[in-house]
Amino acid sequence: MNARRSVRMVGHLMRADFLERVRRYSFLVTLAATVWLGYLVGAGKIELWIGSVRGAYNSAWIATTMALVINTFLSLAGFYIVKSSVDRDRQTGVGEILATTPMSRPLYTLGKSLSNLAVLGGMLAVLYVAAIAIQLVAGEDRRVDLLQLALPFLLLSLPMLALTAAAAVLFETVPGLRGGFGNVVWFVVWSALIPIGIQLGGLLDPLGINLVNRNLEIAATAAFGPAKRGFVLGGIEHTEPIQIMRWGGLDWTPDLLLTRLVWVLAAAGVALAAAVFFDRFDPARSRRGARVARQRTTGATEEVTSTFVPMPAVHLTPLPAASRRFRFLDVLRAELRLLLQGLRWWWWAGAAGFVIATLAAPLDVVQKVILPLAWMWPMFLWSSLGAREIRWNTTALLFSAARPLGRQLPATWLAGVALAVLTGSGAALRFVATGHWNSLGAWVVGALFIPTLALALGLWSGSSKLFEVIYLVLWYIGPMNQVPTMDYTGATPTGLAQGMPLVYLGVTALLLGTSIAGRRQQLAG
Amino acid sequence: MHLSIEHVGKRYRGDFWGLRDFTLELGPGVLGLLGPNGAGKSTLMRILATITRATEGRVLWNGEDIARTPDGLREVLGYLPQDFGVYPNLNAVEFLEYIAAVKGIEARAARRRIDELLVLVNLTEARKRPLGGYSGGMRQRIGIAQALLNDPQLLIVDEPTVGLDPEERVRFRNLLSDLGGERIVLLSTHIVSDVEATATDIAVVNQGRLLAHAEPEELLRGVEGRVWEWVLPSADLPEARERWKISSTFRRADGVHARVVSAVPPSPEAEPVAPTLEDAYLSVLAGHRGERLEKVA
Repeated sequence: MNARRSVRMVGHLMRADFLERVRRYSFLVTLAATVWLGYLVGAGKIELWIGSVRGAYNSAWIATTMALVINTFLSLAGFYIVKSSVDRDRQTGVGEILATTPMSRPLYTLGKSLSNLAVLGGMLAVLYVAAIAIQLVAGEDRRVDLLQLALPFLLLSLPMLALTAAAAVLFETVPGLRGGFGNVVWFVVWSALIPIGIQLGGLLDPLGINLVNRNLEIAATAAFGPAKRGFVLGGIEHTEPIQIMRWGGLDWTPDLLLTRLVWVLAAAGVALAAAVFFDRFDPARSRRGARVARQRTTGATEEVTSTFVPMPAVHLTPLPAASRRFRFLDVLRAELRLLLQGLRWWWWAGAAGFVIATLAAPLDVVQKVILPLAWMWPMFLWSSLGAREIRWNTTALLFSAARPLGRQLPATWLAGVALAVLTGSGAALRFVATGHWNSLGAWVVGALFIPTLALALGLWSGSSKLFEVIYLVLWYIGPMNQVPTMDYTGATPTGLAQGMPLVYLGVTALLLGTSIAGRRQQLAG
Repeated sequence: MHLSIEHVGKRYRGDFWGLRDFTLELGPGVLGLLGPNGAGKSTLMRILATITRATEGRVLWNGEDIARTPDGLREVLGYLPQDFGVYPNLNAVEFLEYIAAVKGIEARAARRRIDELLVLVNLTEARKRPLGGYSGGMRQRIGIAQALLNDPQLLIVDEPTVGLDPEERVRFRNLLSDLGGERIVLLSTHIVSDVEATATDIAVVNQGRLLAHAEPEELLRGVEGRVWEWVLPSADLPEARERWKISSTFRRADGVHARVVSAVPPSPEAEPVAPTLEDAYLSVLAGHRGERLEKVA
């Protein structure tokens, strides 16, 4: 295949995929979130500090701040936003059409990576415009230097986003990383990248934090003398007087450029590595697909061997009116079965292990470690709430049944709550046994909050991904890192003292209302 | 039991009307809804199945407006959408039990009904196999079974024979005929032979409008004496297609035998033949498009 033809293929693959995505309503929501991120920087909610020193709001300073914000936040959120391009081809059936073309696997994964990068690049462009606006509004230096504004975006952010875009494709092609588990793995990778980058720097600093930090430390020392200064990217209250320096931006030497170029090459490598795992939409190459294909083949064989089956003399017994008696428990049981269907023995063993651990471990450990873990275990089950009707295209079947809002939705929600009660039951027993009634109250709120959050996000996004990402972040910051305002389980004494369970109860009620509104909207067609 | 569709219209984005001023009265029997792709059949089906709301007009089920009180109809509705999915990890029995619970059918009655339905749709042997492993035809049969779960008074089936093999198709046609005696069955399709085999009434739809509603015999009478079999050389076929409404062709040793729907014989050698429903359907569509069923000058 000649190079020109390959470039044309990749270009069109990227274009079609990009257009398909940016014409979706969800892309507008993504852009709105990007604008909000820009606003946070503009409003001073997220700032770059070296100790008590910051740069004057000139083009270089604002662009570098923005680039680091992009690298920190978009490398996480952006991954989840773009990690769907291969799956979309699989779901829509376009993949099978592409598989019959001469397009090679590396070209496909490269095209998809570039398409992902184009989407993230769109967000980057929005923030570039936002940076200009921020500089003009701040008014500390009105000389807008478009090049100084562009360089951090292009050289600091673009390589990281390229890596994120390629990693999303890799995760979509590697069996086992396609679904929710892959989302968790990326979260772990991302969590590790920040401290490693800050500590080691150089070629191990894809986010560029160490690079900027070292440069700013030198600049701050030159301006105000040596001192022990910490690097901060976020909101901080200063006890010491604020010092403002003039900073002209990073000096992009060839060595510096090389450290960033390495990550662009790494991104290309990741995109090509994805081709190794890419199954070219051949179901026989994936374990699950092979199972399905085998079952289909078996079915087909049965059909072929029974070429003539006489019409069965079946009489459909008329359904007596008395049997059309709705019983909520029947629906709840059916929803629970749907939720728990197909779980393997190790899942049940894990859930049982957490219950036993909560009964045996010290109460403090139960609250801070084991209960949060026990309520992380069923995350992928909760994430199907509200989304599976869209995912499996069963809306027409379910919504044409009577009272879908009053019957099926509450049963779905209660099945999710029952799962929380089941997996967290050990902790509840401990709270009762030890008379920790406040903790028990917080536990009840947590058991209601998690499935309600899943239901609301599933209903409004039509996907399980949004819940998986938000819940993972919330879980990491709240119960695991003991941030009281994010603690929905009552794990932190401060959270309990501040009445956070009551806040989360209110949020739960709000989310429940949102879920009902979401389903009502779906029913309205 | 009575379904009344009164001046129903459905407007989509971009001011596109999928259905316009559609009026129809239905009682027990099988109504075959015929029309080309994009005619508005599925839009009508979705409105009748309470999935989507009409932009104008109303639909009354036994005198009740289904937009205001959809649950009255939903209790007795069976619906097989053109495009639907299943939960891949459930087997046939589990899936049908789930739908039965959502439809409010008591568990014991549901179990008996599911057993009967699985025999009826020839899935007894595959009943314990996860639906994710089903072929397209098997999945379609599960769709048929779920539509019949609640012994519906109104059964709406949208392109139900898609994916079925010939034998299953015959089986399903017979089933529909049997069911039509005591309930209203709406069968939407563009396969005329499906309608021919089952329908007691036929409605022809195109571009969102009702073109004809009649018994099959009445539609056939409309083209009586206007269908011809004409034997012509293969080379003349392209020109003949441009000048005449040809409903079908088949090749024989003596040339191409073409069925022509026309008020006048296409040639002095053409022989009048008994019309089929396909001829009648094409004639109605041609009339709507303003095509003349006689020789083009």
